Amino acid sequence: MSIGLVTYPELCHGCGNCVVSCPVNSLNSPEVAGGKGPRYDDDMIMVVEDGVVTLKQTDLCGKCGTCVDACPVFALKLENLEDS
Amino acid sequence: MEMTDVINKDISVERTGVELRKLHFNNDLCAACGLCEKVCPVTAIEVNPTGAMVRTEQESSNIDIDSSECALCGMCSCICPYNALNFDIDGESIKESDLYPRLIKSSEIDEETCIYCKNCELACPPKAITIARELPVRSKLVTGEIEIDKDTCVNCGICEEMCPADAITLAYKNPTSIDPTISSGIDVNKDSCVYCLVCKKACPVDAIKAVCRTCSYGDYDLNSEDFGTKGKTFINQETCVDCGWCEDICPVDAIKVEKPFEGTLEISGETCQGCETCIMACPCNVLSFPQPEKSGGKVEKIHKDEKYCIYCGACEKACPVNAIDVVRTKINCTPIKSKAWQKAFDNVLN
Repeated sequence: MSIGLVTYPELCHGCGNCVVSCPVNSLNSPEVAGGKGPRYDDDMIMVVEDGVVTLKQTDLCGKCGTCVDACPVFALKLENLEDS
Repeated sequence: MEMTDVINKDISVERTGVELRKLHFNNDLCAACGLCEKVCPVTAIEVNPTGAMVRTEQESSNIDIDSSECALCGMCSCICPYNALNFDIDGESIKESDLYPRLIKSSEIDEETCIYCKNCELACPPKAITIARELPVRSKLVTGEIEIDKDTCVNCGICEEMCPADAITLAYKNPTSIDPTISSGIDVNKDSCVYCLVCKKACPVDAIKAVCRTCSYGDYDLNSEDFGTKGKTFINQETCVDCGWCEDICPVDAIKVEKPFEGTLEISGETCQGCETCIMACPCNVLSFPQPEKSGGKVEKIHKDEKYCIYCGACEKACPVNAIDVVRTKINCTPIKSKAWQKAFDNVLN
């Protein structure tokens, strides 16, 4: 079974909580560690693009669930990817 | 014939033949630490991402067992420190058999030494300990005499309000022209009274005569058998994780814990981003966030105390940024009698 990140863009408010809470993003980008949006997305798992959460480098995801916990509107989930 | 059953999140794999071999996985006990995956000689076990399992709602079990690969050897059940995997041959658990290695892990309370303080019950991370205690009867621990002179008493209620043991009751009533009093009596419950003499000192009309025999004569007229708290202790051996919290917190050294693994736990404070996934994943409450003394103060990112750690590796597996390194140097187990088993067990050592 393969569990991974799935986004529900129709629910997303674009708050960016997931982007800054993500420990991988925060380790990889000094801007995110400082609480801002990242300057580049080459080593970001997700960013907010045009006001909506967009997955980028999902292979870096450690599947810890911090972003899922941080999202106020359930727009991100860790799910069985084979189901979707 | 081979069969796989998934009920709720528990998984059973069984094979009938010369003997009935049955592997059972109990999801509630599993910490998704990954040891079974490491020991499995045929890579039939896949442990799902620890963070996803402990932090988010998942419909799937913590582990998947591929029954077409599973050789029903039982190794996973022997390495699991959380009793989540059990392997039976013809209905008998291989943990009962000397032919198979068994982790040496235990937690025991010595009832002779235990004072039933309940520290262990409250500290136990999986809430596996129950302490049932019977307190001594209070009236047997203090003796004295108390008398309220009803003729002098003015029913002011000061003693009732002040009594720390709630032992004094005034029977308030509405005064009538035929009985113009506000109370029909005052009563001292001698089972509750601790002869502290607060009432006597507070009484504005000196209506209370009381003495405390324990104070004036010391302890000699008390029966020492009446003092002790009696009780019974119980450790749920299935949910116990042998983390050592109880042993450490016990004020009278009544608890002995043997741990299944030895090793080290290293956390890189530089890499750690403080996401808390490891804290949630650890079944042994080894990790916590330190609080600075003043707001804005700098503290270490995450605090560990290895005396509670059993080196299962759940935190390492949960960490999304590989900031944690769990090294297992020794497995404490009964003799391993087969080379194949030795090799598989060596796979969990670093």
